[in-house]
Amino acid sequence: MNRRRPPKPNVAREDMYRIILSPVITEKATRGSEHGQVTFRVTMDATKPQIKAAIEGLFGVKVNAVNTSIIGGKLKRSRGRLGRRSDYKKAIVSLAEGQSIDVATGI
Amino acid sequence: MQVTEIQAEGLKRQFKVVVAAQDIQTKIDDRLVDLGRSIRVPGFRPGKVPMSLLRQRYGASVTGEVLERVVADGSRQAMSDRGLRPALQPKVEIQSFGAGTDLEFNMDVEILPDINPKDFSQLKLEKLKVEIAEAEVDSGLERLAKSRARSEPLKEQRPIAKGDIAVIDLVGSIDGKEFAGGTAKGLSVNVGEGRLLPDMENGLIGLLAGSHADLTVNFPGDYGAPTLAGKTATFHVDVTEVRVPVPVAVDDALAKEVGFDDLPALRKIMREQLEREYTNLARARLKRQLLDGLVDAHEFPVPAGMVDMEFEAIWKNVEAERERGALDPADAGKSDDELRAEYRTIAGRRVRLGLLLSEVGRLNNIRVSPEEVNRAMSDEARRFPGQERQVVEYYRKNPEALANLRAPLFEDKVVDFILELAKPTERVVTTEEVKRLAASMADAAAGPDKGSKKVEG
Repeated sequence: MNRRRPPKPNVAREDMYRIILSPVITEKATRGSEHGQVTFRVTMDATKPQIKAAIEGLFGVKVNAVNTSIIGGKLKRSRGRLGRRSDYKKAIVSLAEGQSIDVATGI
Repeated sequence: MQVTEIQAEGLKRQFKVVVAAQDIQTKIDDRLVDLGRSIRVPGFRPGKVPMSLLRQRYGASVTGEVLERVVADGSRQAMSDRGLRPALQPKVEIQSFGAGTDLEFNMDVEILPDINPKDFSQLKLEKLKVEIAEAEVDSGLERLAKSRARSEPLKEQRPIAKGDIAVIDLVGSIDGKEFAGGTAKGLSVNVGEGRLLPDMENGLIGLLAGSHADLTVNFPGDYGAPTLAGKTATFHVDVTEVRVPVPVAVDDALAKEVGFDDLPALRKIMREQLEREYTNLARARLKRQLLDGLVDAHEFPVPAGMVDMEFEAIWKNVEAERERGALDPADAGKSDDELRAEYRTIAGRRVRLGLLLSEVGRLNNIRVSPEEVNRAMSDEARRFPGQERQVVEYYRKNPEALANLRAPLFEDKVVDFILELAKPTERVVTTEEVKRLAASMADAAAGPDKGSKKVEG
């Protein structure tokens, strides 16, 4: 059986900017950077292929893989009222060997 | 670190200091590691912030900080390696610095001159010893008696004469209008003493107690208040009472009144007080003589930067005085350039003396002990009764102010030290002579005291 690979998504330039929100700078994310993994916050509706295309297009690098996870917002209580921080999607992007993104430069 | 001297001229020195980029980089990294241990960055536990992030966030400010320190260290080391003592903060000019390149800076500095204090016993000094004449004590007592003088009401009604004390109420007006400061109630006038305008005092003579009069008073053209000068005013005067002064005799009663047992005790105190006064005068003259002698005897180059600073300070004073219109009459007729030249000489003299005194103090290990400073501080505090604590607090918080206290103490100690070596000749003089000598000295006074304060402080 020949499972057809879906076609590469066509992501417009402005969509790239829309999808990728910001780099995640934490201890955990820094640890990933030692193996060529860069972490970003992305929009909830972004798919892995879209993220891949966006990162490749914006930073001019080759992306090997994208892992995503949705981080649930915490429940927070303020003045006795229950509040909820919004959820967000986090994408861990594995770059091809020898490539890197300077998280500091911004987009 | 490499230090090369590229210029040496008089007291001026110029150094070129090169610090290897490597050294600076290590210093910056050390500082960053230090910083990383303490700061909090969101997303990281304290102390876990990666170096790259630290460098990116704090690199610039840490670099600046480290550079400053390196430059300061470098210049200090350049001086101490050569055994030089800078007169002022060195002027530093950074030639080049960039990532990976060596730091290179030029340093302009003026060093303190080498001062060789001369043999102080060569100084010709004259110490005045004051003999207080009995007459001096007597007149002092009389002055005291006079200030204690009381008055009593007239026993019989008679017109006011010179020497009486008239108690009056007055309302003054110019052209029918009362003017500010022209009204008084219960004013005691010592008629004939000339404290008030002559028109007023003369007008009072001949009046009876309880009588009224309108006096016309011409204010002189140079009267203190410009709004009144040259005007003519009418004063309506009510004489409420006429008193005559009662002379106070110099006797045991007077002594008791001012708090002593009897007259001899009062005399003794009076004599001591006079002695102290004249001794201070004599000492001031001696000190002046000493300083003059020192300046003449010592020839050494003076750092121009210090003279400039001192001159600026004096000049600012002069300008402020001019602004207030309180310029020294002797200076009033002179042009700016003349004044500048004159004060520049004074500034040079002050700096020279200051350097010399502090050098003598340094060579001879003269120090002002903390106890002495404390004593000066509490003396100072006592001058503001009720606020002693604030004064002490002020000094505790302002080391500069404390230095200002220390400076004169130090100066006095050094002067004492030199005086001991100089062995001034003693001469017994009368009080008049002291006054005359001190006055002639004051004319030439350029106040060297201040210069040394600056240096020491």
